[in-house]
Amino acid sequence: MKVGLYFCTCGTNITATVDSEKVIAELMAMFPEAYSAKVEFICSAEGKSFFKDHLLENQPDRVVVAACSPREYESTFMQILSQAGINPYFMQMVNIREQVAWVTPDPAQATRKAITAIRSAMARVPLQQPLDKKELEACPDVMVIGAGPAGLQCALFLAEAGRKVVLVEKTPVLGGMPVLFEELFPTMECGPCLLEPLQAEILHGNHAHNIELLLLSEVVDVTGYYGNFVAQIKQTPRYVDSTCIACGMCIDPCPANTRNDFNCGMDQKKAMAMPFLGALPNLPYVDWKSCLRSQGESCQLCLDACPVPGAVRLDDKEQMVERKVGAIVVAIGSKPYDCRNLSSLGYGEIPDVYTSLEFERLASANGPTAGEIKTSTGQRPQSIAIIHCVGSLDSKHQPHCSGICCEYAFKFNRVVQHKFPGTKVHHFYKELVAAGKDDFSMLDHARMNPNASFIRYGDLSEIKISAAESGQKIVYRQASGEDGTFTSDMVILCPAVVGSEDSAKLGAMLDLNRNRAGFFEELNGRLHSAQSKVKGIYLAGTCQAPMDIRETTSQAMASAGYVLSGLAEGRKLVIEPITASVNEERCSGCRVCGGVCPYKAISFTAETRTSSVNALLCHGCGTCVAACPAGAINGNHFTNDQIFAEIEAILQ
Amino acid sequence: MQTQSVTTLTAIQPASFEPKIVGFLCNWCSYAGADKAGASQTPYPPNVSIIRVMCSGRVDPQFVMQAFRKGADGVLILACHPGDCHYKEGNYRAVQRHRILLRLLDQFGIEKERCNFDYVSAGESEKFVRVMTDMVSTVRALGPLRARIHRLE
Repeated sequence: MKVGLYFCTCGTNITATVDSEKVIAELMAMFPEAYSAKVEFICSAEGKSFFKDHLLENQPDRVVVAACSPREYESTFMQILSQAGINPYFMQMVNIREQVAWVTPDPAQATRKAITAIRSAMARVPLQQPLDKKELEACPDVMVIGAGPAGLQCALFLAEAGRKVVLVEKTPVLGGMPVLFEELFPTMECGPCLLEPLQAEILHGNHAHNIELLLLSEVVDVTGYYGNFVAQIKQTPRYVDSTCIACGMCIDPCPANTRNDFNCGMDQKKAMAMPFLGALPNLPYVDWKSCLRSQGESCQLCLDACPVPGAVRLDDKEQMVERKVGAIVVAIGSKPYDCRNLSSLGYGEIPDVYTSLEFERLASANGPTAGEIKTSTGQRPQSIAIIHCVGSLDSKHQPHCSGICCEYAFKFNRVVQHKFPGTKVHHFYKELVAAGKDDFSMLDHARMNPNASFIRYGDLSEIKISAAESGQKIVYRQASGEDGTFTSDMVILCPAVVGSEDSAKLGAMLDLNRNRAGFFEELNGRLHSAQSKVKGIYLAGTCQAPMDIRETTSQAMASAGYVLSGLAEGRKLVIEPITASVNEERCSGCRVCGGVCPYKAISFTAETRTSSVNALLCHGCGTCVAACPAGAINGNHFTNDQIFAEIEAILQ
Repeated sequence: MQTQSVTTLTAIQPASFEPKIVGFLCNWCSYAGADKAGASQTPYPPNVSIIRVMCSGRVDPQFVMQAFRKGADGVLILACHPGDCHYKEGNYRAVQRHRILLRLLDQFGIEKERCNFDYVSAGESEKFVRVMTDMVSTVRALGPLRARIHRLE
C-alpha cells in the first residue's frame, strides 16, 4: 500500500530539534512502498496547493501528515484530500510540533520520539476505512410541549419562520404561570398585559395558521428520533366548541362545584367554568372529573342554557392524535417546592400562611378575592412576614438558589406598600440575590420602604411559626445567633423552584435525564443550554432550571434557533461518519452498550435480540465500543485494529 | 508485597533504562492539555507516546493489556475532569474500567503504578507536564516490565 508521508518543518518550529532528514530516511527504510515530501508550511496557501498537486500527481492510497496538532488543521487537510479525490478518512495527522519538537529540547530524543509517532501513524493508516457522510430525510415540523411564556414564544417564532408547530398544553389556557400574576418584576407590568399580545398572536395572528393548538392535551408516547419523531397525544375534550360566544350562560346553572386549581384551591369553581377572568382562549370548559355526567348522571343544564346550538358538546370523547415532527421543544415549566416538607413553618395548618403562588393569586384582580388582600378574619394585615429561601440553599431540601424568589419577594413588598401604606413588611432571608441589570433596583426599592425590615437567618429550621391569638407568632434565630420573636398577620413563604410534576414521566418518555430537583439536564450548561442530550429535543424555560421570564423566553428563542438552523426545510440531515455500529452476527443482546451510551443512541430489538446504534444520535465517543464484551461494536475511525496497530508500532 | 517487588525489579534494572509508556488521551481535554504544554514549550521526558482517542471511554482494557504484552513499561490514561467530559460521562466509564483493570493487573503481577489514570483539562498544561514527568520517573524506578512478562509467559 502506497502511503504518502508529508513532513511539515513549520519553519524552524519542528526542525529546530527534530532531524527531518533522519526521520524521513528511517521511515522510508521501514516502509519501502511509501514516499515522502517535505514542506515548509503545509498550512500556508502555497503549502496547501503543493499538497493538493502532489497528492493528485502521486495518487497515494493513504496519507500521513506529520505537522502540528490535528486539533488545529485536521479538517483543513481532510478537505484537501477530498479535493484531490481521496477519501478524507484515509489521512492520519502526527502531532510532532506540540507533542514532540516543542517539548523535547534534546535533538536526539526529539528525533527518536518523532520517528516513533510517525511510525505508529504509518502502521495505522493502511487499516483506515473510507468513510462518508450519510443523509437522511427529515420532517421540518416541530412539537412544542407547554404553552407558558417559553412555549408560546418558541411556537410563535417558529411559526413566523413558516414552520408548522404542534403546541401541546395540558390546561385549557395559554400563558402558563405568569399569566396568573397581577404584576411582574422588575417593571411591575401586569402578567396578562405582558402575555396577552403573545397569546393573541398564537390564536389569531398572521402566522396562527402554522400553529396547531392542542389544549387539555398530554403527550403520552414518543417514538423515533431527530428528524422523524412520532408523538401520540391524548386530547381530553373541552366539551365546548369554538363556536361558543363566551356569554357564560352555561356556567351559573352548573350544579357541580370543585376545587379551583387556578386559584391554588383557595376557592371553588363550577365543573363548567371559565378558567379565570381574562383567560385565553376565551372559552369555558368542563372539568370532566367533577361533572355529574362523569358519575353517570344525565345532567345537561349547561347545554340547556347555551344560546348557541352545538357550542356545548357533551358527547365529545377523549381522542388520540398522532403527529410526525422533526424536533421537540420541551417547555413544561416548574412548580414550587412543597412547603409542607418544612413542618416548623406551619404551612397548611396555621391560617394566613401562604405560598408565594397563593399570594400572587390573592393579589390578583382575577383571583379568589378579586385582588383584596385580607387575613382569614377579614382584617387588613398590619404586618406581613416574607420568608425567603424556603427549601432553597438547604442541603436537606434543595441545595440550589432558585434565583427568582428574592425578586418577587421585593415585588410583594411593593404591592403591600402600594395597597396598604404603613403595613410592616419583614423579610426573613438566608441570602439576598439581586444580580443583573434590573434586579438591584427591586432590592433598592424594597430597602427604601420605611416599613420594611430585613432579618438574616442562618438555618430555616430555627424559624418556628405557630398560631397566635391573632396572626402568627414567629420565633427565629438570626444568622448572628441573636434570638427574636415577632407577630405577624400574614406569612408569605417563597419556596424553592423545582421540576414540574410531569417532568419524571416526560423525562422517561423522551430519555431526558433529570437532576435531583427534577430539572432536565442540558447537553452543555454553558454552550448548549437549550439543547438536551438527545438530538432534536430542546429545552426552554423553567423545566431546565429556575428562571425569570426574560431568561425563559431567551431559552425559547434559542430552542427555536436550534430547530431552524439544524432542521432546515428541504435539507436532509447529515450523519457524521465517526459513529459506532453493531455487528449483529456477534451481538449477544446483553444490552451493556445501551446502558453506557450517554445519548440514548442505542436501541434493542426484541425480535432479533440485538442492539443497534442510531448513527444520527451517536456522537462517536466510543464508550459502547469499549464496553461491548463480545467485541461486536465497531467504532468508525477508531477501530480496535487501528488502535492495536498504533500500540504495536509504538512499542516496536 | 508491592514494595518488595519494586525493590526486586529495581535491582535487575539496566543502567540506562528508558521506560516505554503508552498514553491514551481523550481528544477534548487531555490531548488539548498536551497541546497547550507544547504551545508553552515546557519540556518533559519523551518516554510517553500518545494515542489520541475521542473519549477516555473508548479506552478498552484490551488496549492496556496489549500495550503491556507488546512491551510497554507503563500505560497512562488521561481524561477530562469529572463533570467536564465532552460526552458527558465517558470519563466515568473510563475510571470504572481502570479500577477493575488494576485488580486484573495485580493478578498478573503488574504494579498498579504502571497503569495510571488521571484527569487533565485543556487548560492544565502544567498538570499535564507534571503527570508525564511523574509517570516517567515512577516507571523508571519500577524498572522494565518486559523481563518479568517473559518470565510469566
